[in-house]
Amino acid sequence: MSAQERLRDALGASLAGSGGPLAAATRLCQACVELLPVDGASISLTLDGTNRGTFGSSSPLSRHLDELQFTFGEGPCLDAAHSNAPVLVGDLHDPADSRWPAFTDAVLDSGVSSVFALPVRLSAQPVGALDLFRTAAGPLGEDALDGGLLAAELAAAPLLDLLAGHTDWEAAGQPDDGWLQLASLERLEVYQATGMIMAALDVDATEALVRLRAHAFAVDLTAGQVAWQIVERVVSLDSGDWQDRGESGASR
Amino acid sequence: MTRTESDVTQAFVSLTGRLAGGADVVELLTDLTADCVRLLDVSSAGLLLADARAVLHVMAASSERTRELEVFQVQRADGPCRDSYLAGTAISAPDLSQETARWPLFVPHARQAGFASVHALPMRMLGTRLGTLGLFGTEVGALSPADLGLGQALADVASVALVQDRTTSDQKLLNEQLQTALSSRVVIEQAKGVLAQQGEIDMVGAFRTLRLYARDHNQRLTDVARAVVGRELLGRQLLEHAAARRPTGR
Repeated sequence: MSAQERLRDALGASLAGSGGPLAAATRLCQACVELLPVDGASISLTLDGTNRGTFGSSSPLSRHLDELQFTFGEGPCLDAAHSNAPVLVGDLHDPADSRWPAFTDAVLDSGVSSVFALPVRLSAQPVGALDLFRTAAGPLGEDALDGGLLAAELAAAPLLDLLAGHTDWEAAGQPDDGWLQLASLERLEVYQATGMIMAALDVDATEALVRLRAHAFAVDLTAGQVAWQIVERVVSLDSGDWQDRGESGASR
Repeated sequence: MTRTESDVTQAFVSLTGRLAGGADVVELLTDLTADCVRLLDVSSAGLLLADARAVLHVMAASSERTRELEVFQVQRADGPCRDSYLAGTAISAPDLSQETARWPLFVPHARQAGFASVHALPMRMLGTRLGTLGLFGTEVGALSPADLGLGQALADVASVALVQDRTTSDQKLLNEQLQTALSSRVVIEQAKGVLAQQGEIDMVGAFRTLRLYARDHNQRLTDVARAVVGRELLGRQLLEHAAARRPTGR
């Protein structure tokens, strides 16, 4: 097993455990600090470019730094989510970089010199960012960046659960490994069903995926299974509660 | 097989011409899989592309039927396409009924969909494995060396279409390019869903509607899909366009 594969597995395994999506996101952030050369990590949720909040962090300081971005309405996390691309700032002291004056001053005051913000995506759409903080200035390095990108991918799973309002993974029989959770979302029928929900309920792509996931939890199926039911029109999206069409009603 | 030299020439002239003209990658690769079915002794073809985590995704297929796409997609777990990707070599399974032990998940899926044989050809670029071209037949039997050679040439064209900067040996840049291609597929699937729901049509009809609108408005398929998903373009407009075209179509 290569070092990269070990890192991949360790990050994926960090999502397993009790306590719901917030606890899982926190464990993922802690795993970043353990496994990558960074001193702090946080995950924030942004939709439509507006920061909704920090929802996982490795420490109170990381949470505070992340929250500063909502206070000031600026920061690398917002930019990463908005541009759907990593924003890597190796040295916040650099006077040439004046993108986030208020945020930068506050972060420097707390002893952090570099920030690396990586977009978190659901169905290819940015919905938030993973922020990695370091006290030392300098670039993140290629291997660490690869690890960070893996963690940012994984962060999508608890983030969606949080959006779906689900807090008890064990009860819903969720797979333990974060990669398995992600794989169930990255399926053609899930994308197709997402589109169908968008049209039926007049919501955007992220909201549609959240609804699909929430429904999957409610009926104790995977997102992929629910997606098949929708695509094959076993369940009708026209009724508010997605009631079964045909068989179940007729059998009564 | 009634393939003529001129059929083959025409297919390559068309593919390479559109490649040079900057055609939409999903659309180009969809046509390439249709060329496979037309030129080779197979009934279905699909392109699977690997992401940075080596997970295979359906990039294009000759059929948009969801159940048929699933035969490609299930090979994330096991199957000849996955093996071909991992090994970087061609994998032939002329009789799937003999392969259940080898691919316990894939074989039942493929046989249920009516397939009896599979040939998987690797897609590579400068020594990097990108994915696989899967060729499915409804009859038992191996493809001829000529068919396999032509299939590999088409797989190579697909690789070229996916990697814009072909001088790069930078894995990260390569991954980004593949990721962009995969996001195009995501947004197209979402747009198909929108159209299927609004027009009460199946996914095959939804894809046709999307393509027709893009072609008639001289827009890229991915851009039209993105506009539909972003709700800048109403699904109704595409459905009405398709309905208006129907009487004059073939």
